[in-house]
Order: sequence, then structure tokens, then C-alpha cells
Amino acid sequence: MNVLITGAESRLGQAIARELAPGHRLRLWGTGDPPSEQDENITYFEGDMRDPDVAWRAVRNMQAIIYTGEPPPNLPEDDLACEQELLDLATRGTHVLFKAGIDAGIKRFVYGSTLQIFESYPDDVYISEMWRPMPSTDKFHLTRYLGEMTAREFARDFPVAVTVLRLGKLIAEEDASPQDPDLMWVDYRDAARAFRLSLNRDAQSELKWNNRFALHHICADIPNPKYLVGKISGFQLRGFQPQHNFEAIWRGGGA
Amino acid sequence: MKKVLLLGASGQIAPNIIPDMESHCDFTLADIKPYPDGRPIEHVDMRQYDQVRDAMQGMDAVMNFTVNRPDPILSFHVSTLGALHVMKAAAELGIKKVVHTGPQLVRSYYDQDFEITDVPRAPGTGYYGITKMLSYEICRTYARTYDIQTICFVFNGLGLEPSEPIKGEDFPPFRIFWKDLAHACCLALDIESVPDNYQEFNMVSMTAHQKYTMEKARRILGYEPAERWENYYKRDV
Repeated sequence: MNVLITGAESRLGQAIARELAPGHRLRLWGTGDPPSEQDENITYFEGDMRDPDVAWRAVRNMQAIIYTGEPPPNLPEDDLACEQELLDLATRGTHVLFKAGIDAGIKRFVYGSTLQIFESYPDDVYISEMWRPMPSTDKFHLTRYLGEMTAREFARDFPVAVTVLRLGKLIAEEDASPQDPDLMWVDYRDAARAFRLSLNRDAQSELKWNNRFALHHICADIPNPKYLVGKISGFQLRGFQPQHNFEAIWRGGGA
Repeated sequence: MKKVLLLGASGQIAPNIIPDMESHCDFTLADIKPYPDGRPIEHVDMRQYDQVRDAMQGMDAVMNFTVNRPDPILSFHVSTLGALHVMKAAAELGIKKVVHTGPQLVRSYYDQDFEITDVPRAPGTGYYGITKMLSYEICRTYARTYDIQTICFVFNGLGLEPSEPIKGEDFPPFRIFWKDLAHACCLALDIESVPDNYQEFNMVSMTAHQKYTMEKARRILGYEPAERWENYYKRDV
């Protein structure tokens, strides 16, 4: 499959590219330097996704779009300008990119949101996909959520499969500190696997829009979890089982 | 008398309700275009945070009637970013009352249904609907976080109330008349608080179809249409 991956310079983008590279042709959209080793199945792309012409060139000949949701590395230093940029990228940027994808005949879209929109819930509840998001006004959380809502509407209006992955806090298991365990941790490699599995969804022909749309919470499988993964009927991401569950920390008495 | 900033004062709605509200509140009118009768307005571009915040200084409440419907860029910048600017400035300045407005996003979905109250939003990807839907979510989030009492009025049709019998026509299913909207806005400015700091209200003047109800606006705001406007649409027998 030909797959466009945004935010390719981010650590998540790189993990997704590594996960998909063996079986797919990738177009990596980002501002970082391409790796020195060249792979004929990987091409690189740069530009502002809010420009419809740029977005159109990016999506041509693609069969799937992965919008990682990761913020770009060159955000303005000024706090207000940064917030305005994040909002515009998450809402208008998602709209322009997905619309270009629709025009190009792409049928599979995956958007990376965040589980942090549930942080304000107390720790004595089990958070599944059934709970209403309660984002804070934190610019990184709120804008990611608004991007998710923008993405969802494309499944409502068009015969395409849209999958939203609400990712926990991204970290590499080997970097996790026992002093600061987090109920929301997810390893980059597991997150990348979730993106790969999302591409398998063949839901674009479903008549009901809510079957074309899917929403999954993605985080590690830890003892006594607050954030449940794959426990609600109809919300399981087929084949997904986290491999990096921070056992040395959660089961080894570190937490 | 409350000092109220009215954003979008020169648009399609505000000039029609201002006359009925002026005895109730002290308005500062703001827009980027002239007011229809030439009265002075403050120039406030919703895309510019500093302009929005400066205009909100010293206000007790803000009413946001701004919108851009069709433009692929301006719709996001006026309706969505503009709403963020209003709520952010309200949080910064300690303003505790915001009246927000926008479309009821799904009216025609329910044309075969009755007793309809609050329905799930389904804006689709059109610029008007999606950018306003995003603005509602921004308002809800800031209202919850900063205890800003935010009343969101959702519309489907607006217009002048009838003054004489209308023959051979049924009335539209989701319409508010200027007189009723002005009254609802006064109630919204007066109410101490609303559940969860944020509530959306269907703005309707006629409910004889038993389609969209005004039950929530009645219960929380104490809203009632000025007259039973359906009576203007009576068939002779």
C-alpha cells in the first residue's frame, strides 16, 4: 500500500515508518533531514499542509493517509502564536489534507489523537472509549482533540474509513523511570503497531457512517489500568496487543 | 446595567435585536464592517487576539455573533480561532459571562421525528458547520475550566415576527423571531449560572409541530416566546 505519513520527523513518525517499511511504499512528510540510507520504497516530502496545492501533491498516488497529529518541530516560540499555529494545523490542516485525500480517491485515513484529553478524570474510574473527552485548555491537548473531531466528520460525509487512535503518553520502555510511573504510558513501537493495524480496516463501504469511523484507546497493558484497551465491544483494534508493558516497573515493585 | 461587548454587531442578526435590548444593557458594538445605520462601532478583527482582548476590557459580558460561512480559510479563523480568542480573553480578564451563537447543525436529519431536544452534532465537512462545531467545543472546554457561564444559542432560521395573518403557508420548523431572540439574550445575560457552565439552547419561536422543543430554554433560562406566533398561520374555516 502507498502510505503518506505526516510528522515524519517526530519520534512517533519515525517509529511508524520503521513499522510500515517492510510491506509498504511510504511518503514521509516532515521537515527533518532524510536518513542517509536510501530506500527505494521511501520518498520524502515537505511543505505546509494547509496549502491545498501542497496537500494535493502530497496525497497523489497514495492509498492511505496517516496523520500522526505530532506537532511540527518549528513551532513559534511565542506562546500565543504557538497555540494559534497548533489550532490551525489541527483543524484547518486536517481539513485541507483529508479533503485532498478524498479528492485523490484515498479510502483509509488514520489520525493520531491523545489520551491526555481524559487526564482531568479522577484515577478511580476506568476510562474506555465510552467516556466523554474533557480536554483541558492546554494547547497541545485541546487542539489534538479538535483535530480528531475534524477527522471524524470525513467518515460521516464520505465513503472512507477514518480511524482515530487516542495515544497514551509516548515513551520508549527502556527510557521509563521507575520513579515516575504513568498510567498513560505507551511505547512508541506499540503505537506504531496500532497505526499499521489501522490500515487493515476495510470499512469504507459500510453504509452507516459510524461503522466507517473507528476510535481506539492505545496504551500499555498494565496491572489495574485506568485506561482500558480493547475492553469495549466494537472498539477493539483487531490484532492489537501491546508488547511493551513496562513490567519491570509495574510488576517489579517499582510503582 | 451590564456592560456588554457585542462582536459581529454589523452582521445579519445583531442589528435586528439590538433595539429591543438597549434598555437592558450597555452595548459596545464591534465588527470589521460599518453598522447598518452608521452608528459607531469598534473595529475588532476576530483573528487578532489583542484586538479581541482589548475590546473586552472592562466588560461584564460578551456576545459573539461573528461567523464566516463559506471561505476555506476565514471560516476557520473567524469562527474557530475567533471563539478561542474570546474564551481565552474572558479567562484572562475574569469575564464570567459569554453568549455564543451558531447553527443547529442537524435540523434536516430529524425532519421525520418529533419531540426533539438536544441532538448529537453532525456538522459534516462543510466549512460553516464544522468550524462552528469546533467553536462550541472550545467554548465548552474554557467554560468548564474557568467557570465562564457560557450560553450557546443555536439557530436554524431567523426573521421578523409576523404582524398579520399569513395564509396558505405553514411555519418553518426551527425559527426564532427577532423579538424572541432579544428576550432570550437578555435572559442569558441575567442568569447567574447554567449547568456545567455551558449549555446549548435551540432557539425556536413556534413549537406547534411538536418537532423541536424549547423545553430546555424554558426550564433553565425561563424563556417563553412573546406570543403564540403559530396563530398567525391559521386556515380560515
